[in-house]
Amino acid sequence: MSSDLFKYTEEREAASAAKVRALEALLIQKGVIGSDSVDTVLEHFELTAGPFNGARVVARAWVDPAFKERLVADTPKAIAELALPQGMAGAEGEHMAAVANGPGVHNLIICTLCSCYPWPVLGLPPYWYKDPVFRARGVREPRAVLREFGVPVAEDTEVKVWDSSAQIRWFVVPERPAHTDGFTEEQLAALVTPESMMGVALVPPPVAAAA
Amino acid sequence: MFTRFEEFAATQMLGQPDSPPRSQGRLHFDHDWQRQLFGLALAVAKEGHFEWEDFRQQLIRSIGDWEQLDCAAQPPWDYYERFLEALTRALEQHRLASGSELAQVMAQQHGQA
Repeated sequence: MSSDLFKYTEEREAASAAKVRALEALLIQKGVIGSDSVDTVLEHFELTAGPFNGARVVARAWVDPAFKERLVADTPKAIAELALPQGMAGAEGEHMAAVANGPGVHNLIICTLCSCYPWPVLGLPPYWYKDPVFRARGVREPRAVLREFGVPVAEDTEVKVWDSSAQIRWFVVPERPAHTDGFTEEQLAALVTPESMMGVALVPPPVAAAA
Repeated sequence: MFTRFEEFAATQMLGQPDSPPRSQGRLHFDHDWQRQLFGLALAVAKEGHFEWEDFRQQLIRSIGDWEQLDCAAQPPWDYYERFLEALTRALEQHRLASGSELAQVMAQQHGQA
């Protein structure tokens, strides 16, 4: 039974793949799209605007305290210092503002009115970001929400909630994890997750160090 | 206010019935054909051959059709199969590619394989 199901799934996959291949060839042949049109749109998500940019910004802030200060003071200007992909500084990028976690302060970003989100640094928002319950509870009881996300915040740590809007799109610079001395910026960037830049997760120490 | 079509298109779907699978801030594809298909639909709309909203309505309809099927007749859920059905319908509706043209190219490709 399970092998029949496996074969069925495999055949469906193969049929879909063949159909997509044929569709693309047909549309190029008919001049509906160019031969590189598909790659161009995919590149936007995979290389231009996404969480990999935010991770690079955070990694730089971890290794360069002066950059971190500039980042918090004037986010777009500081980001412009980095050689990030051209095209990421669209309308969503211009209004970005970074807030830094540190001893005694934890930041959480939400959006109570719409779904404003700093795409160029965080990528696509998770499905629950637009959920009215998450948004309402994020404002009312951020500590409880953070606990549910597995981020217990000490009583004496202040929780700041930042409400993104069309004017300002917030993102969080999480704290650098332990056991990362001597890491390159690239190695550090690989540790940063979108959720940590929303403030709903911490950046855990590298797996090898934790083991 | 989006300056890039790609961001506008993906954002329209978020939190809606046609919301695409994603993981850690990125689109999630289990197979390369799914990635290619997503890019294909966006590329056709970006070139102005149909409104993104028209495609989305086809996708929402296709998802709705799947949901209405009896359990016994319902194939396992696959977002990108619905996406493929929606795109072929949208291409047909806008006279960009017909089912017979597609069958012809598939036969040619099958012959070459």
